[in-house]
Order: sequence, then C-alpha cells, then structure tokens
Amino acid sequence: MAVKEKNILNRLYFIAGCMFIFALAVVFKLLSIQFIQGDKYRELAEERTIKNVVIPANRGNVYSVNGNLLATSVPKYDIRIDAVTSKAKVFEENLKPLADSLSKFSGKPSSYYQKEIRKARANRNRYYLLARDIGYSDYIRIRNFPLLNLGAYKGGLIVEQTTKREHPMGGVAERTIGYERFDENGNVTRPGIDGAYGVKYLRGTDGLRLKQKIGNGQWKPIADYNQVEPKDGYDLYTTISVNIQDIAHNALLQQLEHYEAEHGCVVVMEVATGEIRAISNLGRTKNGSYYEKLNYAVGESHEPGSTFKVMALMAAMEDKLVDTSTVVDTKQGVKTFYGRKIRDSKHGGYGKISAARALEVSSNIGLATIIDEAYSKNPEKFLNRLKSWNLDKPLGLPILGEGKPVIYEPGHSKWSKNALPSMSYGYNLKLTPLQTLTFYNAIANNGVMVKPTFIKEVRELNKQIETFDKTVINNKICSDKTIKEMQEMLKNVVVRGTGKSLYTPYFSMAGKTGTAQTEYWMDDWDDNKRYVSSFAGYFPAENPKYSCIVIIHKPSIEKGYYGADVSGPVFKRIAQKIFTDTPIIDEVETLEVKHVAVEKEFDSYYKTAQTYKTIMPNVVGLPLMDALALLENMGLKVKFQGVGIVKSQSLDKGLKIKKNQTVVIEAS
Amino acid sequence: MKTVFKNIKGDRLIWAIAALLAIFSFLPVYSAASNLAYVGDSGNTFAFFLKHLMHLFLGFTIMYGVHKIPYRYFRGLSIVLIPVVLVLLVITMLQGTTIEGANASRWIQIPLVNMSFQTSTFAFVVLMVFVARYMSKIKDTEITFKESILPLWVPVFLVLILILPANFSTAAIMFVMVLMLVFLGGYPVKYLAVIVGTGILALTFFVLIAKAFPDAMPNRVDTWMSRIESFSDDGDTEADYQIEKAKIAIATGGIQGVGPGKSIQKNFLPQSSSDFIYAIIVEEYGLLGGLTLMVFYLWLLFRIVIVSQKADTIFGKLLVLGVGLPIVFQALINMAVAVELFPVTGQTLPLISSGGTSIWMTCLALGIILSVSAKREEIKEQEDKEDNPLEILSEAI
Repeated sequence: MAVKEKNILNRLYFIAGCMFIFALAVVFKLLSIQFIQGDKYRELAEERTIKNVVIPANRGNVYSVNGNLLATSVPKYDIRIDAVTSKAKVFEENLKPLADSLSKFSGKPSSYYQKEIRKARANRNRYYLLARDIGYSDYIRIRNFPLLNLGAYKGGLIVEQTTKREHPMGGVAERTIGYERFDENGNVTRPGIDGAYGVKYLRGTDGLRLKQKIGNGQWKPIADYNQVEPKDGYDLYTTISVNIQDIAHNALLQQLEHYEAEHGCVVVMEVATGEIRAISNLGRTKNGSYYEKLNYAVGESHEPGSTFKVMALMAAMEDKLVDTSTVVDTKQGVKTFYGRKIRDSKHGGYGKISAARALEVSSNIGLATIIDEAYSKNPEKFLNRLKSWNLDKPLGLPILGEGKPVIYEPGHSKWSKNALPSMSYGYNLKLTPLQTLTFYNAIANNGVMVKPTFIKEVRELNKQIETFDKTVINNKICSDKTIKEMQEMLKNVVVRGTGKSLYTPYFSMAGKTGTAQTEYWMDDWDDNKRYVSSFAGYFPAENPKYSCIVIIHKPSIEKGYYGADVSGPVFKRIAQKIFTDTPIIDEVETLEVKHVAVEKEFDSYYKTAQTYKTIMPNVVGLPLMDALALLENMGLKVKFQGVGIVKSQSLDKGLKIKKNQTVVIEAS
Repeated sequence: MKTVFKNIKGDRLIWAIAALLAIFSFLPVYSAASNLAYVGDSGNTFAFFLKHLMHLFLGFTIMYGVHKIPYRYFRGLSIVLIPVVLVLLVITMLQGTTIEGANASRWIQIPLVNMSFQTSTFAFVVLMVFVARYMSKIKDTEITFKESILPLWVPVFLVLILILPANFSTAAIMFVMVLMLVFLGGYPVKYLAVIVGTGILALTFFVLIAKAFPDAMPNRVDTWMSRIESFSDDGDTEADYQIEKAKIAIATGGIQGVGPGKSIQKNFLPQSSSDFIYAIIVEEYGLLGGLTLMVFYLWLLFRIVIVSQKADTIFGKLLVLGVGLPIVFQALINMAVAVELFPVTGQTLPLISSGGTSIWMTCLALGIILSVSAKREEIKEQEDKEDNPLEILSEAI
C-alpha cells in the first residue's frame, strides 16, 4: 500500500478543508437564525416565556353607618383530589381515615366517600371534587385530613382559590348594597350601591406584573417591582343602619307573607339629612318566599294613589286657592266629573266637609273637587307647582335604573278634562316610592327638600377620601304656614283619619295612607282586583326624626288591601321598634342610688380591716367572701368550708396571730 | 506549581486551548445548572459547579498522566483494550442505567466511585487508536480487501454493533471517523465504498429486526426514526420543540448576548448543560461568543494538523488525527445540531459540556496527542538546532 507522508498530508488537507467548510456552514446557519429568522424567534421567545400577570386589586368593603360590614370580598376554596397520583399503598392506608374525616366534615356517610374516591381512582379521575366554596378555616381543616396532608404530588390535594363577594348580613338590603357580576359574555350587572360606586371607588385598579416562565410550568417575576402596582379599592360607608334595616326588612317581610303580596318595599330616611337608613325590597318567588328581587323603591314608578293627595292639596294651599277650612261637598260618595264617576270608599259619602277633613279621610271626591275647582281654568299652574317641587324629574340617584316620574301635560294624548281630578288623588301620573318619600320628608323637614343619599363617605383605611354632604333640592318648598297646616293634617290622619287604626298613645306618627288600583286597565280587573297599598309619613309627629314609606303591591284582597291595613302596620312597627330600640335621651346620667345595706356592710368591713392587723378579729356573721379577704390580707392562711355566712372560726377573737398561721373557718 | 509546568511537555498551545475552554466552560455549565437545581430536588446550584470542577480536574489529571506515556505503548494497549471494551459494552447493554433526562441506556455505574460512565465514548478512543495502529502496521504492504477484514473491520463492526442500539448517533459518528482515518491511512477508496455499503446494509438489517421484534430492543429505534423524520418533516415533535427552543435562544442572543447567567431558554431546553449548550452560549454571549468558541475549536484543529505533520512516525501521525479530529468533528456536530443543520443527536461540546465521560475522554485524546508532540520535542532537542524559519512560525501560532 506504501503510505507516503505526502499522501497522508494531502488527504488530511482534504479532510480539514471539509471540516472548515462544515464550520462555515454552521456559521452561515447561525447568522441566518439571528438575522433572517431572528425576529420571528425573538417574538416567539416573548410569547412563550413572558406574560403580564394581572394582580387583582382587593375590592373595597361596604359598611353600614355604624361600621358593620355589609359587603366584603372573601377568599373561597374549592377542594379537589387527584385520585390517581397517590401510591397504591398510601391510598389504601389513608382512604378510610380520609373518608371518616370528610364524613365528619360534611355529614355524608364515610362509606359514600370511600366508594366515590375509589371510583374516581378507578376512572383515573384526577380532579374529583370534595368540597366547594368553603372558607379559609375549613380549608385549613381539610388540608390536614389524611392523604390530603401529603400534599399535591403524594396525596393529590388540589386547591383552587377564588374571591367571592359576601354579604355578611345575608339577603338584607342585598339589592341596595348591590354587587358587580359578569356573565360569560362579559355583560355586567351592577345593581345597588356597589354598582353605583363600584367602578369609581370599590374596584381599585388592578396591578400588572411581568412574569417569565421557568421550568415546570411556573412563572417567576422578572423584576422585583410590579409594572403597575395594584391599588386596592376604597371602602364605602353607607347611610344604612343595620338595626333599622333589620327592623324594616322583617316588618315588611312579615306583612308580605301575611298578605301574600306580590312585592313590596320600605324606605326609612333620616329627615334632616336625607340619609337612607333602611331600604328593603322584597319580591315573591313561585314558592311563596321573598327575597331582594329588584330595587322597587328606586326603580318602580307607579301611580301613587292617595299619598299624592298631599301634594295636590299642598299645591292648592300654597297657591292660596284653598284653605284647610274651605268646605267642600263630597256628596253621597259618588260624583260625576266630565262624564266620569268618582267614588269615595265610604258608602254614603262624607257630605260637606272641610278640605283638611277631606285629606284626613282621604276623600277622592273632596280632593278632585278642590283641585278641579282651583285649577280647571289653568291646569298649567297646578303642573308648575308640582314641577317646582321637582316631582316631574328623577332624583338623580347614583343607583342605576331609577324610575322616571311621569306627569302629563295638556296637549298630551293622555291629557283630558278628567286628568286634573284624576291627578288630585294620585292617578294619571307616576312617581317612584323614593320620590314620594322625598316629598314627605320635605314636609317633615319644615319645607327643606333634601335628596336621598345612600353613602356617607369613602375611605381608604382611616383616610377620608371623599365625604358626601346632604344635597338640598329645594330650600323651601312652600310657606311655613302651609307646612304647619299640612303637618297638622298628616298628624290627624293617624289620630282620626284613615290611619286611625294605627294610632297609639305611646308615640306619635304622621302620614298618609294610599290605596291605588293597579292594572285596572286590564280586562280581568273586575274579576281579579289588584291594589297597591301604601303609607307614607314620618315620626315622631313633632320634631320628626325619620320619614318612611311602605308600598305593598297586590296584597291578597281577601285579606285586605287598604293602605291603613296593609302598609300602615309596617310603618307603625318600624316606628315603634325604632322608638323602643333607640333611646331618645342619648346619655343616661350615672345612677348614684345608694344602697343602704351594702353601704353599711362595707363600712363595717372597712372598719374591721383598719382595726385588726395583728389580732384575730371576729369574722362570725360576716359573708365568707369578706372574711376570706380580711384574713388573707392580714397574712393568714385560710381554709374554709361551705358557702354563705361564717359560722365559726378556729382562732378566737383577740388572739395574737403570726404570719402564715392557718385558720379554719366554716360557713353555713 | 513550577515543577508541574516544567513537566508539561508537548504542544503548549493545545494545552492553552484546552485550559481556556475548560475555564470558560464553567460559565455556561453553572448557568444551565440553575434550572437543573430548580427542577431537581437539591436546589443547590453550587453542587453542579463542584461536580463540573471535579470532572475537569480529573480530566486534566488524565491528560497530564497520558501525555507522559510514550505513545508507542498505545499501539499494544489498543489491542489489549479492544476485548475489554467489547465486554464493557455488553455489560452496558445488559444493565445499562438511564440518566435522568436522557432515557438511553448508555451508562454503566462504576463501582466504588459512584459515578456513571458512558462506555461508548471510551470505546471510541480505543477504537481509533486500534485503527491507527492497524493502518500504520500495513503502511508498507499492499493489502487486499479480504486481508483487512479480520484484523480491522471485524473488531470495528463488533464495537459499532454493540453501541448502535443504544446510541445510534455515536455509532454513526464513530463509523464516519473510522472511515476518515482509514482514508487518511491510505486505504483504497474503492474498498471504502464496499465498507460504506456494508455499513448501510447492516443498519437497514438492524432497523428491520428492531421493527419486527419491538420488544427485543430498547425503544431507541423509534427515537432515531422520529428524530430523522422530524428533521425532514414539519411535524410537531419533541425534537422540534428542542430545536425551536435552541433557535429562540440563538435569536435572543443577538450579537452581544443577554449576558452571563441570564439565559431564559435554559429553563426549557432539556440537556441545556450538555447537548444544547452551544445554544445557551450564543444566547448568553451572543454571536461574538459563539464565533469565538468556534474559532478555538478550529484553532485546535489547526494545532492537531501541525502536530500530526510533525509526528515522527506514521503511527504517530495517524494516532494524532485519529483521536484529535473526532474532538473537532464532535464540536461541529454539536453546533450544527443547535443551528438545525443536523438532526438532534446526543453529542456533547467537548470540554465545555458537563458530563464526566465526555470530558475525560476528550482529555485522554488530548493527552495522546500531547504525548506524540512531546516525543517530537524530544527528538528535536537531540537534533542540531537547525532553525527553519517556517517551522518557528508554525510553532508560534
């Protein structure tokens, strides 16, 4: 073969050349990845390994006026088990203890859990649900159950945390406290205060943090700061009082249940400030129970009925077209206006009565006559008066979905000659319960009309962010004289008018009943009469503190439908409870009544203690407690038997005693 | 220390290149270790650092020791070691352990030291020495193909067949390297063609057997088939995943790199401290770092050529090339895999990648080369000092 060195060299150069070319190819490929495909891969790198993680801000709490929690966000846990991951031996050993623990936790039998978990393991279920929506302490408890305490990989524990909005007061005022809920399409429902102020205050702003993927599907933060710091939402302090809310809720609920009404609402408002202390809206479910269905008080505008007579009469009084003493003829309970008959609820009618009396007895004919006579030539004047009281405009509440009031004007298709008499007793126009209440509140507040508010202040921990002062809608809705006269009439409604069944000598109320027909335009009304019973007013009648409206829709008419019977008692119950629960005198002076016997006993004890320091006193006849204290203070060791009054002592009176000497006393 | 340096013989530049590569290797290995430590139970990255240090220390001890041995002894040693290697390979095949992350049974546990050892890498060096010995032995004789079968090709194929099931790529590279060496040794090209044909035939036969009796073989056949398929196809396989990560790493590196230890893809690239270390190096040190590293290997190639040129015997020349060229070749393959020029193989980057066997066998090969070059120095010292200016130049670079 004769290998020559030269031969080797030539072949070597060939090989080395090939390697060099290979190296060049690598370099070329390297450059092409970096420069030609570079952008694509760099993009991929970012896409695959970097993400912006949202750090959710904690949603603020909603508090009552006294600082009770009304709504808060709490962590909830779903516990599942990976039934496959644990080793056969570990699984068998721990299944029974785990099932026992779970059974104790949930109340389901242990055998059920054994069967189900075994089945999950057989079906290779790695996601078997054990408990849903449990709280933190329950989660800690479950975490320590056998098998699960081995952790995710050995035991198969899977924990999923979610944040849930909770109302610690339960369903009370739920519709007004509200929430924010997103459905799967991203549509949001935002009822109540939470909805009104959620976006602005409660929500806060979510933070962002850049995270980079590391092995095992985990992500680590890239920098030691957040790209956007999360800012927790502010807390809302509402005007809701838990006590009053509770009273109102239960009073309404009781009445709704009794009258099997379709729905109803109650609002209690502080007279001076317009702060809503309680708002309850209950609607009936198919099975007859009630829950916070819709915010009727805010959202439902309806024909107010007789409660509107107050507005009508006040307008006429303020326009000096009528006086409380103006006599009006209510005939025999039926009077025809422009071809339409108007009736009073009392058969036979009230005859000739004063305007004040007409309001007290809620005479439709009386009011229709007064208003028609006063304004039929110039209905605009009446309407303008109502408009000056903002009755044609919404209150502009922050809560979404406020009902719009409706007042028709001449020229409108629903306006006719009969419109005016109809309006005088609360038909042919619409108001929401809260609008009616706002007006009654203005009467109670001596003519100052304030806007209802639900929220007092916004806080971030202890820092005040924003406070909400009362908003005056109308500084003086009418003359003092009119106000005084109206207050007097409203008081008399309860004393001797339609509300006299509510009268009690123990506390005073003022208000107006209302019984309005509803859905009377439907064909079946004659067979199935439906009413809206209401009561609006305030209490106490003098220097009123709270105004309140109760509206109950469609009570069962067999049981009653008059405002005084259906809604009035709710009003009364609330007034009564608030009176008994809230001391009118805020501070009680210290009771410094001297108890003679106690004083005497103490004196003798004190005297003995001062006298006997080294000599045994006579303790027979003293209460055991006093004797014990006395002797032990002297440095004696006391053994005792029995309770009550000391009968005997082992050391006689007058003996000199030493420290730590033992004395035995017996009590009866 | 001084005495150690005094006792260092052979090509100083090879020593220097090896030392530089070894020192540099700590950076990417330590960086890649962070993920291994995180994924594994230990959580201790320094353990990986220490382990690598130990591997390198042992490697350089081997290198030093081997370069002290006069290279003529390797001639006989290779004949003795071939049967030993065969036995070791059989043992590996039967009781081979898998190493975490890599499911090929290529390692055996060395008793007492508690280290795993990849037998095929050792077999590689021994086989190359063996082939170099044979080629130098027949240098003065005309040889027929038949005559070379028993003393050359039978041992070669025996070794290769034992490696093939567990490690196709190593077997293939060894085959190519053996072919290269016999080509350099003046083996007629027409015979080579026959051998290549035989090799391909043997491989086909093996694959068919593996397909026919899937239980008899470890599942490796499917792995290489899928790897080769994925290299040619556009399918989405695990190898594609690795390659994509490697390419992402290279692309993010840019010209200057993201900086030492800041690689992101190390978290996703399996074998980021060995098979895919080049991608991590480019990510952290950029195009500049990657090209510099390649220049070092090419420089090593250059030095190997020089040492081979100067070797005093044909055996010396073939020995240097036989053990030296695979180092460079392996380095290029590793880089080629990272840039998707080559299907995914388990080849390490010599002296850089973590992994004891790879480091030790590279050091063994370098020791052998240095031994040859030390011999040359000895001869040179004895000769009159006729200073050939060209030679001085070549010694200097």
